[in-house]
Amino acid sequence: MKSISLYVANNSYLTKLHPFTKLLYIAAAVSIPLLSGRLWMFCTWIGVSLIILTSGKLLRKTFPLIAFSFTILLTIFLIHGLFHTGNTTVIFSIGPLHFYKEGVLYSAKIGLNILNMLLSFAVFILSTKPSEFVEELEKKGFSPRFGYIINSVFQIIPQMIGTMHTIADAQRSRGTETEGSLFTRAKALIPLISPVIAGSLINTRERAIALEVRGFGSGIKRTYLTDHPKSKVDILCRLILYAAILIAVCWRITLCLI
Amino acid sequence: MKNLFKTKFNTACIVLIPTCIGINYLGKLIASTLKLPLWLDCIGTCIGAILGGPLIGAICGAANNLIYGFTTGDNITLIYALTSLGIGLAVGIMARLSFMKKTSGALLTAVVGGLTAVVISTPLNILFWGGTTGNIWGDALFATTQASGFPVWLGSFLDELVVDVPDKVLTLLIVFAIVKFLPNKLVSLYTSDDTIEKLD
Repeated sequence: MKSISLYVANNSYLTKLHPFTKLLYIAAAVSIPLLSGRLWMFCTWIGVSLIILTSGKLLRKTFPLIAFSFTILLTIFLIHGLFHTGNTTVIFSIGPLHFYKEGVLYSAKIGLNILNMLLSFAVFILSTKPSEFVEELEKKGFSPRFGYIINSVFQIIPQMIGTMHTIADAQRSRGTETEGSLFTRAKALIPLISPVIAGSLINTRERAIALEVRGFGSGIKRTYLTDHPKSKVDILCRLILYAAILIAVCWRITLCLI
Repeated sequence: MKNLFKTKFNTACIVLIPTCIGINYLGKLIASTLKLPLWLDCIGTCIGAILGGPLIGAICGAANNLIYGFTTGDNITLIYALTSLGIGLAVGIMARLSFMKKTSGALLTAVVGGLTAVVISTPLNILFWGGTTGNIWGDALFATTQASGFPVWLGSFLDELVVDVPDKVLTLLIVFAIVKFLPNKLVSLYTSDDTIEKLD
């Protein structure tokens, strides 16, 4: 069963960093360019994320993520480049289409912001095991019930996809058409989706009983299987990131005051 | 009325949440396999809201986007956690006001849920995407409104409206059909207005 998590267990230094350090990196990478509001700041942080991803041997895994949102970035560029309401100065034309400076700048800012967010999240997502992240959250006082919710999503989804494939095959063998016109495809929706949903809801009853028997509802303090102490690298990274955020905030405040 | 937000946080309800998140994922998967021009990504949230109440619905919605945002690289969904939370809350409240008993009530719930989604999503769309939604039909409409000089917020509002309301109508009709045929021994695990009678 294929997991839906994108975690890559390649044992690089990134996977060994504490999850919270990587979270702080996201906070810094997203907030600092927004605070400064400069286009070159977005580019700098995109560069930093790319360097980190390369050094963690994760760059190849990043491309599918970018490709996923590339079409949306393209739509934004086209719509605003061509039709943005403040458009006055033409910068270039392709045939009858005129691209305007204001719209292109506006879409560049949105596009860079999205790309920056994507890449900084990729640093976290590709190098952090979800269950490890949940365990660290629980150690900080996060409710173990919510921890269970997150962990079990990763077990339930591959299971449900498996069930769905079984049901899809069964329905096809009974003659359900899953390809063709929009109406044919829409008609296939109900026989495909309702057995999976009803079945998985009915399963929750048994799961609830099984968990209850194993002491899920107990309020006693839990112990943890693994220990992940902060390393010196973690502390150093956090200090640098806090300092960077602080500088950006101070710079913004001085800008407002002058 | 005082039962509107009453929620049982027992094991059954906690187990319901990951299942609903899984259902959301499946809905989205099936919609993309069948290449339907809709999202269908909140079937689970609506089921959670109807069975467990508004609070469970809200948790399902928010947790759904947060989990996918932090693990599957689809991190743009993170900001739409607010939208999902709103849908869960709205549908849950409508269900508690017993609108989900008849098909007409289900349609009304769908419209309320869809409008909630539109109102919350539009500012987010403008802020992060410059008004587009990533759906072909909606974005085509957005491009038309922008070309004819409408303000961005109105274009984006219409863009979201033409996609979200039909999406929620179909979602809630599916949900209505499924919830109606769920066995009573399952549904009774979540109902919060039951009373315990003693025989002695």
